[in-house]
Amino acid sequence: MIILFFSNLSKIVKKTNFRIAIIIITIILFSIIFTPYITEFNPRENNSRNRLQSPSLTHYMGTDEFGRDIFARVLYGARNSIQVGISVVVLTIIFGGMVGVLAGYYSKLDNVIMRILDGLMAFPGIIIAISLAAIWGGGKYNIIIALSFSYFPKMARIVRSSILSIKDLEYIESAKAIGASNTRIIFRHILKNSISPIMVQASFNFARAILDEAALSFLGIGIMPPNPSLGGMISDARSFLTVAPWIITFPGIFIVVIVLSFNLIGDGLRDLLDPHLQNNY
Amino acid sequence: MKKTLKVSIALLLILGLSLIIPPNHFTVIEAQENEERYGGTINIAQKMAVAHLDSDNSTDWLITSMMNHVYEGLFEFDENLEAQPHLAKNYEITDEGRKYIVELREGVLFHNGEEMTSDDVMASFNRWLEVNGAGSTVAPYFKEIERVSDYELNFIFEEPYAPFINILASPVSNQKFVVRHQDIIEEFGSDVITDHIGTGPYKYLDWIPDRNLRLERFEDYQPSPLEPSYYSGERIPYIENIIYEFITEPTVRVSGVQTGQFDFAEEVPTDQFEMFEANPDIEPVVIYPDQMAMFIMNNAQPPFDNKYARQAMVYALDLEELGYSMIGNPEFWRLEASLHEEGNPWYSSTAGEGIYNNYDPEKAEELLEKAGYDGTPLVIVSGQDDRVERQGAIAIQDQLEKIGVEVELQLFDRPTVVERRAEKEGWNIHLSTFSKIVPDPQIHQGWTGTNKWILNWDDEYSAQMDEIFARMMVETDYEARYEIVEEFYDFMWETVPYFNMLDFSRLNIVNSSVQNFQEAWQPFFWNIWFE
Repeated sequence: MIILFFSNLSKIVKKTNFRIAIIIITIILFSIIFTPYITEFNPRENNSRNRLQSPSLTHYMGTDEFGRDIFARVLYGARNSIQVGISVVVLTIIFGGMVGVLAGYYSKLDNVIMRILDGLMAFPGIIIAISLAAIWGGGKYNIIIALSFSYFPKMARIVRSSILSIKDLEYIESAKAIGASNTRIIFRHILKNSISPIMVQASFNFARAILDEAALSFLGIGIMPPNPSLGGMISDARSFLTVAPWIITFPGIFIVVIVLSFNLIGDGLRDLLDPHLQNNY
Repeated sequence: MKKTLKVSIALLLILGLSLIIPPNHFTVIEAQENEERYGGTINIAQKMAVAHLDSDNSTDWLITSMMNHVYEGLFEFDENLEAQPHLAKNYEITDEGRKYIVELREGVLFHNGEEMTSDDVMASFNRWLEVNGAGSTVAPYFKEIERVSDYELNFIFEEPYAPFINILASPVSNQKFVVRHQDIIEEFGSDVITDHIGTGPYKYLDWIPDRNLRLERFEDYQPSPLEPSYYSGERIPYIENIIYEFITEPTVRVSGVQTGQFDFAEEVPTDQFEMFEANPDIEPVVIYPDQMAMFIMNNAQPPFDNKYARQAMVYALDLEELGYSMIGNPEFWRLEASLHEEGNPWYSSTAGEGIYNNYDPEKAEELLEKAGYDGTPLVIVSGQDDRVERQGAIAIQDQLEKIGVEVELQLFDRPTVVERRAEKEGWNIHLSTFSKIVPDPQIHQGWTGTNKWILNWDDEYSAQMDEIFARMMVETDYEARYEIVEEFYDFMWETVPYFNMLDFSRLNIVNSSVQNFQEAWQPFFWNIWFE
């Protein structure tokens, strides 16, 4: 797998889309890590006498209806979005992976688990997330759990199908024959070789989590005001669309750029880790 | 000679015309014009949904605003804020202010075709005394209601009760007295009424919660003979159907009027005022500052069970900054400590002197320390659909955090807020808007007295406040009563059970094709027609 990764890497990085996405994500990650050094403004501090100012050298993206600096809010909002994205991906891999392993490796459990997952997957993920966020209330942590819950069935399915395709191969049988434990076989031999589809799915989940977090915040059940979130900013800015269009424009651009970049990275990763594409470059 | 000839020809012409044109010609034209006004459906974008439609059972003024079309009061306010007889024909006060003799209009029909009589008024009034907020304020001083005939009643008090007629006509939610059919009262008692039979120009058709309320013209409506003036006088239901749609999103309300989906939108962003003025299809309607943004505290729970903590809130808030946050355009708000507007006989220019609009965060911190505030986060429960409440809550959180007070913001839809704020625990601060159109200071008793409204105020100070209102109620001399009112203001700003942060105007928009629309504080749709 690692050899495959490096043999494809040199070819993939030559792809313009992938390179642009990597550069953009690097810049965004740098900006959100060092936000306090990039902007002096507090994203929550009001200065309403200075409301609805258009972009200027002091306020690069203007100010909102409370006189808050939009540049600072966009960066802190993106920070929240990325935190949600990372957390959702980690939780989805853990829970989706565990359930997928159980279903794939232990065939007695397969039917039961998969029927439950089929049931969960019958609902669109965002509907489950909205319902859970509405029951538990908004807030970053509740959103992370709600989104993870709605994404994990798909991840579990992917892990299960990887395991099913690997577990009957000769080298697994050899491992069993020499007395390797189930845990060792699952972690050392099966999951290690299933990493490629998991990583690809994780990168798409990341982009989707950011988009869904924005949707939930837009609907008022996501990150609670006055904490900045890109979706929440767009929601609040609707009333000012005609008088101060910059309030809605910048968070909108940020969401598009982040989600597009992660999707492009996901595409690149899929190509990197796909042995069928090895000779296509 | 020539002059005489001209005069003769003119006289002949007039005579000829008078023979050709029938004597009722102009009346006929007027009648035809009136006939042309009838018909059509008006679609209204209402800013929030309501929990139910029983105005006696709720403090939500939107209910009164909509159900004004279905129910009418014995008395209604005109545009000069004077109560005029409406379902009442006239009234007389005798026995030194203890007895109100009210004669009813004859021939007024309910939506089920039956005539309104004293029995309906008595049933409605008894329910009002029991259920309605203002009714329960009046009840302790009220003795009995006497039925004299089908069209005459006596309202008898234990002692003189000066503001009675004004309270009956009050446009404020949970105060106004409306006449319902006695069968409805018998069916529902004090429970929330879900079937509506009134005497108003429109009949209740159906209500889908969170979606819409539909009203239909009452063909047999019997209007008041008085000249129309806001809620009083003649109401003519030209429009056939009224549909209230509950649209919480202001941009949707605005775009609905722009595209013709709605004919009227309630409370749209004031920042867009100039844009509306420039649009020939839209008529902006500015309701002069008739609303107060109120800072409500839960007086039963720490820290606001201590008056110093309540005073601290006044010093902690930069009200001008709040004005920009809550309303925006400074043309639409003003700082005003008096609960009655300038020009009202109960206005006080000295109300809140020394404390109101005296932003002093250090003093606020001192007062909080004096009150023994332990740093427990304060919970603000406020509406997320109402812009003033939502923006205000966010701005207040920011300002309180600046003096080191941790704040938890809980924003809900309107029905949830109404439910939460009615609880004794679970909240510390609530933002609400009060109508400034209050005809008599006695009405404040319904909010300010011991355990009144949602304040949960019950201590030695609330008892003193009750005593002030008790004196206010029996005093009939204006000068002497005004002194008591000033005492009320002083005591209110000393103990601060709640306070008004600022006054603000509201901006509604109406389609230009709607004719004769009045800029009243609660929009009404009788006496209007489409071009």
